[in-house]
Amino acid sequence: MTFASIDALEQALREASYLPDRGLATALYLASTLEKPLLLEGEAGVGKTEAAKALARAQGARLIRLQCYEGLDVAHAVYEWNYSRQLLHIRAAQEGTVSEAELFGPEFLIRRPLLEAIESSEPVVLLIDEIDRADDEFEAFLLEVLSDFQITIPEVGTIVAERRPAVVLTSNRTRELHDALKRRCLFHWIGHPTLEREIEIVRLRVPGVPERLAAQAAAFVQGLRRLELAKPPGVAETIDWTQALAALGREELSAEVVEQTLGSVLKYHEDFESVRDRALVDLVQEARGAR
Amino acid sequence: MPGDAVVKHVVTFGRVLREAGIEVGPQRVQDALTGLDAVELARREDVYWTLRQTLVSRLEDLEPFDRAFSAWFERAPTRRAAPRTRAETIRPVASFAGGGTADAEPADGQQTARGWSYEELLRQRDFASLTPDELAHVRKLIARAGDCRPLRRSRRLRAHRRGHELDLRRLVRASLATGGDAAERSFRRRTLVPRKVVLLCDVSGSMEAYARALLLFVHAVVGTGRGVEAFAFGTRLTRLTPELATRDPERALADAAKRVLDWTGGTRIGESLKAFNDEWGRRALTRGAVVVIASDGWERDDAALLGSEMARLARSAYAVVWVNPLKGNPAYQPLAGGMRAALPFVDRFLPGHNLASLDALAEVLTGIERRHAA
Repeated sequence: MTFASIDALEQALREASYLPDRGLATALYLASTLEKPLLLEGEAGVGKTEAAKALARAQGARLIRLQCYEGLDVAHAVYEWNYSRQLLHIRAAQEGTVSEAELFGPEFLIRRPLLEAIESSEPVVLLIDEIDRADDEFEAFLLEVLSDFQITIPEVGTIVAERRPAVVLTSNRTRELHDALKRRCLFHWIGHPTLEREIEIVRLRVPGVPERLAAQAAAFVQGLRRLELAKPPGVAETIDWTQALAALGREELSAEVVEQTLGSVLKYHEDFESVRDRALVDLVQEARGAR
Repeated sequence: MPGDAVVKHVVTFGRVLREAGIEVGPQRVQDALTGLDAVELARREDVYWTLRQTLVSRLEDLEPFDRAFSAWFERAPTRRAAPRTRAETIRPVASFAGGGTADAEPADGQQTARGWSYEELLRQRDFASLTPDELAHVRKLIARAGDCRPLRRSRRLRAHRRGHELDLRRLVRASLATGGDAAERSFRRRTLVPRKVVLLCDVSGSMEAYARALLLFVHAVVGTGRGVEAFAFGTRLTRLTPELATRDPERALADAAKRVLDWTGGTRIGESLKAFNDEWGRRALTRGAVVVIASDGWERDDAALLGSEMARLARSAYAVVWVNPLKGNPAYQPLAGGMRAALPFVDRFLPGHNLASLDALAEVLTGIERRHAA
């Protein structure tokens, strides 16, 4: 399903519980209009993976996710033969009666995410998550798949996509990606949201949260991002934290409750310590003053 | 396709971007035009995002893009960074790397006459005491020493005679012929691949005598392929990987000198390491990497920051090697505040004052294992 305009896509994502800013909405819209993969980069926790999931929900498409890791190869990303079944099959048949064509038929093929996405006849969003974790060889292979949307299996032949899946790649920039791969993709950098948007996101994702608590939590996290931290918290942390605060039945922030729950926002011990010892009281004051 | 006016506009804008140093190919311009066709041209914001997402593909290019965009579409004057002329700092580097005129490599006859003992002598001589003539000769030997790379086990499996994991794909193929009996078994095992290396070289004033020799070594390590990142620091951190990727050491070092604005200035090791940890460590560049820091450890600022940043670095790195040319002096004691603060987080502490010590460094790098005592 394609969208008539950026506004229509924005609306659909909103209904799928995701609040994109205009930039991200434009990126997703262009990706589907131009039928090009979209590369999303940004700090951890700004909602890169979530964007792909929301797109799938908004389109009523199936999400197929390929989580990348070092050493990821064709057998885990594209297809593999079911070897034990093949061996059993050879055993079970009379000697000499198993032909090669029989042995490499579809019933022995194990489909991994990429093949599944290419073969699918229903609409699909293919999420290739954390592509920077895979190694160079895999990136080169991916290049082939993403330019022609086809996969060649020596024993079977070439499988061409009936309908091109919407492809979203995410990267945390642990290393630079190949220029060739980048050239195939539209590129969007997701930054941290503005205060207003972050409040909106929190209220959407933590249903029933007191309005004041959502506003104060968002303001507090925005304050944290201005400090020099080893790992500034993302929106994901704001959501987790607000959930924790709401579960504790809080209506607003206090220095005491922030100190107890800060661990769900700051994941590095040094950050935790320096905020607790120095900035915490001021930030709470500031956040409480915001609304 | 949008109207002619728009096409002309975008094509010219592509040229403006190219002038600003952003690589814009014809395919990208094509995408931009197709994209513009699909959005409302009256909405400036949508035009901006469309152009940005189709024409730019890396974070570093976003700022020049924004500047060019506002200049081009809003007719605002661009603020250009003042051209940097660092002629005085470039010269010494270029001549050390063996500039055209300073090509003082000994003629063949001379070399034979000087023979083995001459080379051996050079190997032991402190870089600081070498004449330009001798430096030019040593340059090649440094490059040879730097051609080293630590290895690690890959998660990938390759066919191997003495592997531990059955190669089922081959087994099935072979079994076809024998009716299901695996007459011959094939194995796979994990292979060795190059490990990531990060090199940070101090180019402040106190390191002047050694910085160039060490940068040549760094250049050679960068030449061993992907997965090497090089930085220089003095009062600030400068990434040199793209400059040092040039094969010719002479040009690479000249390019590097142009990039480094604080050559032979003061030292802020703690600040520089913090900048490194914040920008690159957070992107997991150091995870699993061998980190080499070449510095004399003279810290101008508070040594406490250096200590805490070293701790951060050591936690994510596979191993940390500190190369200190001063250690070449047998009487040297790491008493300076900076060096003392850093040492607890250093796995190997080595000199780097002459060719022999760089050879030793190469040997350590190739065989390095986690958590040696300094």
